Amino acid sequence: MDCFVFEAAGKHLGIEARYIYRIADEARVVPVPLLPSCHVGVFYYRGDLFDVIDAGQLLGNEARISNEPPYVILLKWDQKSLGLIPERIVGMTWVEEENSHGMIFTKEGLAIHMMIPENIWKRLSELPYGH
Amino acid sequence: MDIEKYKKIFTQESDRYLQELTADLLRVEKDLPNRSLWSDVHGKLHSIKGMSRALNLDDISALCHSMEAWCKEFQGGTIAPNADAVQVLMDGAELLKEMVAATAEDTAIPAPTRLDRVGALLRQRPDQLILDRPFDPHPFSAPSKIDHIRVEYALIEELLARSQEIILLERTLPPLSQEQITSGLRSWIDHYMALLRGIHFQLARLRLMPVQDFVSLFDKPVRDLARNYQREVRMEVAGGELQVDIGLMERLREPFMHLLRNAIAHGIEPPDERKKQGKSREGNIVFEAEKKGDSLLLSIGDDGRGIDSEAIERYLKTRMGMSDQEIGRMSREDFFRTILRVDYSSAAETDQLAGRGIGMDVIAKAIEYLSGSLAIHSEPHRGTQFIIKLPLSLSIIYAIVFELGPYVLSVPTSHVVSIERADDPLPEQRDDLYDLRSRLGIRFNTAKSSHILRVRRPPDPNNPEAGHTLDRFSVDAVIGNMPLMVMPSGELLARTESFAGVGIMENGDLSILLDMERL
Repeated sequence: MDCFVFEAAGKHLGIEARYIYRIADEARVVPVPLLPSCHVGVFYYRGDLFDVIDAGQLLGNEARISNEPPYVILLKWDQKSLGLIPERIVGMTWVEEENSHGMIFTKEGLAIHMMIPENIWKRLSELPYGH
Repeated sequence: MDIEKYKKIFTQESDRYLQELTADLLRVEKDLPNRSLWSDVHGKLHSIKGMSRALNLDDISALCHSMEAWCKEFQGGTIAPNADAVQVLMDGAELLKEMVAATAEDTAIPAPTRLDRVGALLRQRPDQLILDRPFDPHPFSAPSKIDHIRVEYALIEELLARSQEIILLERTLPPLSQEQITSGLRSWIDHYMALLRGIHFQLARLRLMPVQDFVSLFDKPVRDLARNYQREVRMEVAGGELQVDIGLMERLREPFMHLLRNAIAHGIEPPDERKKQGKSREGNIVFEAEKKGDSLLLSIGDDGRGIDSEAIERYLKTRMGMSDQEIGRMSREDFFRTILRVDYSSAAETDQLAGRGIGMDVIAKAIEYLSGSLAIHSEPHRGTQFIIKLPLSLSIIYAIVFELGPYVLSVPTSHVVSIERADDPLPEQRDDLYDLRSRLGIRFNTAKSSHILRVRRPPDPNNPEAGHTLDRFSVDAVIGNMPLMVMPSGELLARTESFAGVGIMENGDLSILLDMERL
């Protein structure tokens, strides 16, 4: 399957191409109060509002590694949507099926952790919100 | 709402009803005994009558009333309709059209003699019409002007998306040379962009649809459900002319469907049971839409048996360990809200008839994510009503946009009483200022507050006597009073229970709309 690969929190991460809606550059992400620190803000694109998450912070980084202006990976699945800010974009790659731990190995020997948008959403839902 | 605005709504709505009325009359002319068609005709006349009465348009309401009287007989089957009667009604409809048009243009009622004649005919029994002279050939009606067209919603979304892309394109404009600026290129571009933004905003208004159209989507599902559960059901709409955002309605489609299924499967009793209770065989489901302040209230009500209180009591006692006294002390609203709990499932939910049994908690959540709330009213044997309150669901509202810390926030202008310049630090006055910064988790207190906003908060529902309270808070900078296109904030932001939505300004930038009721 086609897989989009990027780096965050010292790892290589991959998301199946079918979930990728667009890679937005020059994205103006607007911060929102009372949200977990990995939530960078909201981004309005073509009629949809995306919650934009710093991938690194979601996966455990302490602070945001700022890149101005950020590339945002816009994901859409199942009536939901999300934006992810990577530390570095690697690109598209074709991989065979993943193993049971959600890891892929490319022929160059790169280890890629596969992410499923629904799981990212679940993890976000478990964080504290509000006052 | 002022008279002129209401008059405009009246004319638009009446025109629409009258167009449909003519179509209905044409249909019923070919199918005279069809009682449900007569019911449609009746309904439309009734609606026009209601609106005209509110505006004291006595001629119109009187004509509607006489026409209605005939329709009632036809609908009830007490008098059989005939072709002449239908012709009289058609003449009446044409007259109504002219009278409504005269109202819009503030001119006198046209053709008073024709009005008298039709009025006189309507006073007779429709099946014993005495026509003193053969019917005047009524001037042939010309086809109406093309007024409204049907558009695919997907097309509107595409248009909106494109216009937004064009606006975003401005950001990538390469720097202009001095010569280009002095030649007027910059101001040309600014003008061009302003026009584009205007288009974008107009397109945003296309996202509005009348509640009536949304409810009509449920006509067939309701009919099918009624057949399936062997009930007789009638749906009514109040406030159908209210315009709401299509995106919002789309998100409510499933929750509404579930509430309707509940109403028909469990609320409304089988026709025989209803008869025994002295109710009409037909159960009534009423959809109501109302705009109250900055909120949209949508309710679905039925006149069925009401929510099973005993099942709720059982749940509260066994699952929640509550005593009779504790239950007795609960407000009726809180009592019925029990059914929204995740683990609540009365026998009704899980029985075969109810089908998949989507929990009421899913409905409650869906509404919460739209920054709305759900209230439940129910009385045994009288019926149940679900009221959904949604904030600022009309597409465009005016708001005061301001900066606070790193955020761009906004408050609906209707809530803002005044904006004062903040004189340099007023330490003694700081106590009576509401600390919005700490409420929003802004840690560094910039001392450079430029303005103080005084806002009116809606009355506390638990203490309605207190009325509106005023709050003052300081802000770093006021950007302005401007129209915002409001979008629902989404699940994650909704969890903070502090925002009413995300507002999009004319230049495409965003501001976070504060929910004054919940802060």
